[in-house]
Amino acid sequence: MHDTPLQPARGAAAQAPATSGRRLLRLTADLSATGEPALWALGGALAFGVILIAGFLFMISLNGIVTFWPKPIERVELASGQVIAGEPTRAGRYRVGQDVLAKLSGEQRAMVQAQDGYADRTLYKTANFDLYGDDFRWVSDYERKNVTAPNDFYLFERQQWGTFVGRIKHLAIDGKPAAFDYRLMQREQSAARKRFAQIRQIERGDIGAVNYQLDQQRLAIRKAVLRHGEDSPQAKAVAARAQSRIAELNKTFAGLQERLKEIRAHDQRYKATLEEVGGRTVDLELSQIVRFYPANELSMIDKIGIYLSRWWEFLSSEPREANTQGGVLPAIFGTVAMTLLMVVFVAPFGVITALYLREYARQGRLTSIVRISVNNLAGVPSIVYGVFGLGFFAYTLGGGIDALFYPERLPNPTFGTGGVLWASLTLALLTVPVVIVATEEALAAVPRSMREGSLACGASKWQTIRNVVLPKALPGIMTGMILAMARGAGEVAPLMLVGVVKLAPALPVDGFFPFLHLERSFMHLGFHIFDVGFQSRNSEAGKPMVFVTTLLLLALIVAMNAGAIYIRNRLKRKYSGPQF
Amino acid sequence: MKAKTYFTALTAGLALATAASAQQKVDPALASYKPVSGVSGNLTSIGSDTLNNLMTYWAEGYRKFYPNVNIQIQGAGSGTAPPALVQGTAQFGPMSRPMRGTEIEGFEKRFGYKPIAIRGAIDALGVFVHKDNPVTCLSLQQLDAIFSSTRAGGAKAAITTWGQAGLKGEWAKRPISKYGRNSASGTYGYFKEVALFGGDYAADVREQPGSSTVIQGVAADINGIGYSGVGYGTADVKAVQVSGPDGKCHPPSGQAAASGNYPIARFLYIYVNRNPNQAMEPLRGEFVRYVYSQQGQADVIRAGFFPLVKAIADQDLKAFGLLK
Repeated sequence: MHDTPLQPARGAAAQAPATSGRRLLRLTADLSATGEPALWALGGALAFGVILIAGFLFMISLNGIVTFWPKPIERVELASGQVIAGEPTRAGRYRVGQDVLAKLSGEQRAMVQAQDGYADRTLYKTANFDLYGDDFRWVSDYERKNVTAPNDFYLFERQQWGTFVGRIKHLAIDGKPAAFDYRLMQREQSAARKRFAQIRQIERGDIGAVNYQLDQQRLAIRKAVLRHGEDSPQAKAVAARAQSRIAELNKTFAGLQERLKEIRAHDQRYKATLEEVGGRTVDLELSQIVRFYPANELSMIDKIGIYLSRWWEFLSSEPREANTQGGVLPAIFGTVAMTLLMVVFVAPFGVITALYLREYARQGRLTSIVRISVNNLAGVPSIVYGVFGLGFFAYTLGGGIDALFYPERLPNPTFGTGGVLWASLTLALLTVPVVIVATEEALAAVPRSMREGSLACGASKWQTIRNVVLPKALPGIMTGMILAMARGAGEVAPLMLVGVVKLAPALPVDGFFPFLHLERSFMHLGFHIFDVGFQSRNSEAGKPMVFVTTLLLLALIVAMNAGAIYIRNRLKRKYSGPQF
Repeated sequence: MKAKTYFTALTAGLALATAASAQQKVDPALASYKPVSGVSGNLTSIGSDTLNNLMTYWAEGYRKFYPNVNIQIQGAGSGTAPPALVQGTAQFGPMSRPMRGTEIEGFEKRFGYKPIAIRGAIDALGVFVHKDNPVTCLSLQQLDAIFSSTRAGGAKAAITTWGQAGLKGEWAKRPISKYGRNSASGTYGYFKEVALFGGDYAADVREQPGSSTVIQGVAADINGIGYSGVGYGTADVKAVQVSGPDGKCHPPSGQAAASGNYPIARFLYIYVNRNPNQAMEPLRGEFVRYVYSQQGQADVIRAGFFPLVKAIADQDLKAFGLLK
């Protein structure tokens, strides 16, 4: 090392008198010795990494944040005489093909030629899928004759069939035709939405409860038959009891059904007749309109209001239209529930394993092998864990549980298929190496003097571990948990095998005993992103949802991590107290 | 071969119906769905990703009548349906192709009877190119020469540039980049059987994990061509006409698919484990009835497929013992 400045080329300088040698040596010091290039390389690497991450976050946020902002509606008259209306979504420049040019009129061709053979085109979201059979349309600038932004065009978000763009022709209030009036319609629509919520409540809550009890009775009969045999007196007694209860429940159900019919009939009397730009009309119950607004007449405050109400809908409601619209509440719930459950499993197992390995086990070849195996586990592809989870947890364990405890439900599996429980166990397996390694490091970092002090005071080994070592190591262990949580919440591939589904409207928690249903499949934000981005019918309409959902997933992970870091810091303060 | 027989049945069944209009409409002869009481429980559907959205629409619609029914839907490809049915992890196995002999055998070995299928919708497989591509019509032989390495359809040479597919000018020299589905997909199998005449895919077909991924690939690639369910098309791609058995070019419309003139159209199936000695329990039986109702077939249009006519619905309901 000391020879480095004395390279042969500088031999002469080295042999020079000592007085000038000092100066020369400073000048000719080797670059690698000063550490300057290493500093630049490190700084550069950091800057590169930060730019990549910042760019990624910027792209996600930019696309995610603007999605819900209301856009204007343009009415476009085309050269062909057709008229379309829609939200302009994006634009692009392209080279017009020879075959297209050949079909254009002289005027249009001149226009294209004036732009060196290029043309601009805009993608309009024309909506109205039920009438047009598509929801987007490209319009080139040479096709456009006249573009206006009419004030009487509204955008409707419908419960079914997606959005509608058009005018409101007239209303029907309580069965009587009424002229269109924005305030009136707003009032009636919000009343209609209340009716819709009421219908939902009866369907989900009241009828749901009746159906649940009916199902319980049917299962009770089947259970009795399975246990005692088809013709046994016990089975018959159970069946008789269940039948009378079923008759009762059916009566309740009929009553509820009647009430639903009434509300629906009333609801039918409130309608709007909508007219698309071409003149075709659609009749729509007001309760089917989730939101409507005059797109070209909005003030800034209106826009902010719509923006916020869309966010609220996104966070607090169920998905509609095969997940491409509405909210993601079940997915948020599923992600959080699964991650927390995973922590519940992974924390004790990881910490106990590490404790034994570090504190009790004799350090030898066997513990080294165990350590190497644990470290290697962290490198197994996550999909392999998924396959294991499916084969072992769902099929073998779950199938066994079903055969033992839920024979009356077969062939419908209860635990014998993917579910929250199996998914979180699989992820716990996936993340346990992280926790073990972090815990071991944290334990190793506890100074020997502290242990010896404790032992010297007469504490047993376990007392030392519990009262001295573990508290001191807790922040380090928490760091491991945070890493595990971040990894678990972002993992999707194995989940697709062990319980994540496209649609699982029933949350794993509800009002029926035992309240927590760990066998249920669940929705997950990560899978939601994959599904909406790559599987939905209309990928164009699904794209903004992908960005919004990604933004949400990132925010959720940041929030969970921030929570864990907050707890860690509190622990640190609590246990760092006075020291010798 | 099997697909052919099914398809003859399709054409025969549809011939009974009045001429389908260009705009998609549900056959008015189909009954509107009437709910019964006491349907609740859990249903799981595992299978085709082509049918993923349609199953979701059906599930949403079905839940409107039976709020306490939980339907879970997984769609990773038609190939995942038969094992799920055999294992009992799913009650419905949506598939975009009929089950293979070996798959039926595996099921029969476990249960002692064959699974039965309902035909829920008709899907025309669209051949998509970039929106600026001037190509209008391709024959099955041309598709075979583009996508296969075997050319079982009788084409003399492989087609690798758009010029060979009949385009002129700037397009003549452009290479064709091909997008297809992965092998777990029923769409992959069906296209292989019909458009490739049973041959093998060329090695340079880019296999995509989902129906809409194919569309996104073609949308971003001016030289691209790909096949996917016609309902997945967006404004960024163009569905090419395909010349049918009558030698004329047909767009992938409901009418052309139903008449058999559009050659790459198929039924979408839902396979069910139905013990022939037992009546089907209402939870699944009512779902089947819902699929064949006005509402169920309107969902088919919403999902971008073509609805069925009453003749086929009655045939299937009869097979399930559900025809009243």
